[in-house]
Amino acid sequence: MSSGDVIFQSTDLAQRRTEFLEAARSGMARLRDKDGTSLVMVPESHLQLLLELRKWSSVSTRLERYLSRPDFKPTVQSLGDLAWLRVFDCEDLREFADELNDAIIAADSDNDLAVLEQCLHAWKATARQLEDPLRRSVLLTRGIALDLVEIDPPSVSPEV
Amino acid sequence: MTPHSAYQPYEPARRPGGRPEEIPAFRILIHRQFKHHYAELASRVGIQQAQQFWDHISQTPGKPSPVASITILRGKAGKPLADGWSRTHHYELTGAARADYQYCHDYRTSNEGDPHPVVAILTLNYSSH
Repeated sequence: MSSGDVIFQSTDLAQRRTEFLEAARSGMARLRDKDGTSLVMVPESHLQLLLELRKWSSVSTRLERYLSRPDFKPTVQSLGDLAWLRVFDCEDLREFADELNDAIIAADSDNDLAVLEQCLHAWKATARQLEDPLRRSVLLTRGIALDLVEIDPPSVSPEV
Repeated sequence: MTPHSAYQPYEPARRPGGRPEEIPAFRILIHRQFKHHYAELASRVGIQQAQQFWDHISQTPGKPSPVASITILRGKAGKPLADGWSRTHHYELTGAARADYQYCHDYRTSNEGDPHPVVAILTLNYSSH
């Protein structure tokens, strides 16, 4: 019998407190309040996982909807709270949406947000680099005709 | 005519702590637009972190670093410059200093030149997030 199969009563919080907490620690403790409301206690990390999965699943759905519009332009106005994505064109946004979707599925399967956090960290780091016009110009230039010069190991300039 | 003087106040200093223990496996190039940023590197982040960055890119570019966070940039910004180049690696020297680089194991400066391994630092910036 799993911990969620036992339904505690509100009076059990005093009489069976240790058993209730143990059930919560091991995944989920269910409690029926006096008015019949069903309450659940879970580890905070599990709740955090569910909240993040809900949030980013919603983002993923919104992005899919935006990208399905032929006239969609990634602007601050059109992206709202996702405005940090405005530096990307639709092709990059499609790639982000695909990777985000995969990361959500993996995080759900792993019961761990690590893969989702890595995905978001990488895309946000990229967005920050593209905000600057010079960095953007260099990072989006393909071909090895870049203006490169050789450098020496770092050194401390002498006091003059 | 300016008289010659042996005193050269702007001659580069030697690398503190001596030369790197290992011969660099990669030649290091930087985009000309960021060369002046590189000249400030040691004074901006400290010589130890500057040397750790240099040691990483000259010996093990693309590998995890025990002292810095490295992320592969996404989208078009992360694509290789050309065939044979790596994707763009984003190396965070400190919370306020970061560099983007790619590496190539057989870069040729011309069609007749010998292939050699190089790292190209594409961007270097110090702004805080």
